[in-house]
Amino acid sequence: MIKEFYKNIGSFVFLVLLQVLVLNNIQFSGFVNPYLYILFIILLPFETPKWILLLISFALGFTIDLFTNTLGMHAFATVAIGFARPYILRGIAPRDGYETGTKPGINFFGWDWVLKYSLAMVLIHHFVLFNIETFKFQMFFSTLLRIIFSTIFTMLLIVLSQLITQKR
Amino acid sequence: MRNLLKLLYTYNYLILFLVLEGFSLFLVIEGSEFHHARFVNSTRSFSGAFFVKMNEFNSYFGLKEQNAVLAHENVQLKNLLEQYRKREITRPDTIKDTLRQPKYSYFEAKVINNSVNKQYNYITLDKGSDDGVRPEMGVISAQGIVGVVQGVSKHFATVISVLNLDFKVSAKIKKNDFFGQLHWDGISDSYCTLTDIPQHVKFGKGDTIVTTGFSSIFPNDITIGTVESFDIKGGNFFTIKVKLLNEFRKLNYVTVVDDIFREERKSIENTKKND
Repeated sequence: MIKEFYKNIGSFVFLVLLQVLVLNNIQFSGFVNPYLYILFIILLPFETPKWILLLISFALGFTIDLFTNTLGMHAFATVAIGFARPYILRGIAPRDGYETGTKPGINFFGWDWVLKYSLAMVLIHHFVLFNIETFKFQMFFSTLLRIIFSTIFTMLLIVLSQLITQKR
Repeated sequence: MRNLLKLLYTYNYLILFLVLEGFSLFLVIEGSEFHHARFVNSTRSFSGAFFVKMNEFNSYFGLKEQNAVLAHENVQLKNLLEQYRKREITRPDTIKDTLRQPKYSYFEAKVINNSVNKQYNYITLDKGSDDGVRPEMGVISAQGIVGVVQGVSKHFATVISVLNLDFKVSAKIKKNDFFGQLHWDGISDSYCTLTDIPQHVKFGKGDTIVTTGFSSIFPNDITIGTVESFDIKGGNFFTIKVKLLNEFRKLNYVTVVDDIFREERKSIENTKKND
């Protein structure tokens, strides 16, 4: 349990640093901004209490905000997916529910499940984030393009991370 | 009362969600106020230290280009110096005018963090209040304007980039001095939009756009970009697409502009308003 806790802190720090020091520096045409840090929310265990999920989401988003000078924006989007996560998980649950001891990820579920689950999370996060960043509806299509391209890249990174952590 | 507590208990998750989202939204809307808060300043020096390390590593890749830019600027400055020298020689009888003090002072700073791909882009500099940087100072580079200082901590400063939807500056066509307002449209990192130029003004593609010096942020005649295309959208004004001369992806060394008479100017402009 304690070990699990330290592992989570480690991955929190790692994902934030990866996002801030590497991914935020990908300045590729302005339409591609992968936000891999939400992988932390995606991979939290099923048993995480809902309210802790919300608090962790806020802390994660707020940390990213401090580094990118966008107070509140990432916090808002990340809390939104923290809220949506239990409903998404319930929507795509296997027929007999989630067994105890399993965690979200490729090691316990098939690619079909992982892709569906993470695509839903990434889409919601990016949709909320880019819209709150623009805050105007007249730029809807250019925002939509940013959402689509960034989602594709974030998904690629998530698939990559799953391939790396896959146990054979 | 008990029912109320029960209600709160059953919906605590929803309530916590709403509270957190409300707080985030509050931060988004009131964000600019918080940039001056002490708490944010301390995190700024923390993240600034990170970006310094990162930048030390990155700056090696741009040395060659940076050299070319500096050499080019040197030549320009030498030419300018030559012009002034000529003027002094041809009019040896000029009376020394003590009123002609310098109006602006400049100091150099290094960009340690920069983004171009967001809607609200910011730049972090390695100079802070200890080096004399204050909010609302202009930031320029050899090619043109870069942004305006927004917040400072002891050793770092954040700058609102030209590529930020909040950034607005008055700009004019260099040829004929007609001025309008320049802002970014949030789409491409190499174009801005200049509005409020009346329809009867004559100009063409490739004309230079410069700053006006109306605000005490930028000096007069600092280049911004060139006219790329223009059209008339309703009303009597042109909407001009301006190609920025600065390569915002490659910013490295910049110059911070300090208006020496800023306080004096501000005080007299404020007294006028109060009347």
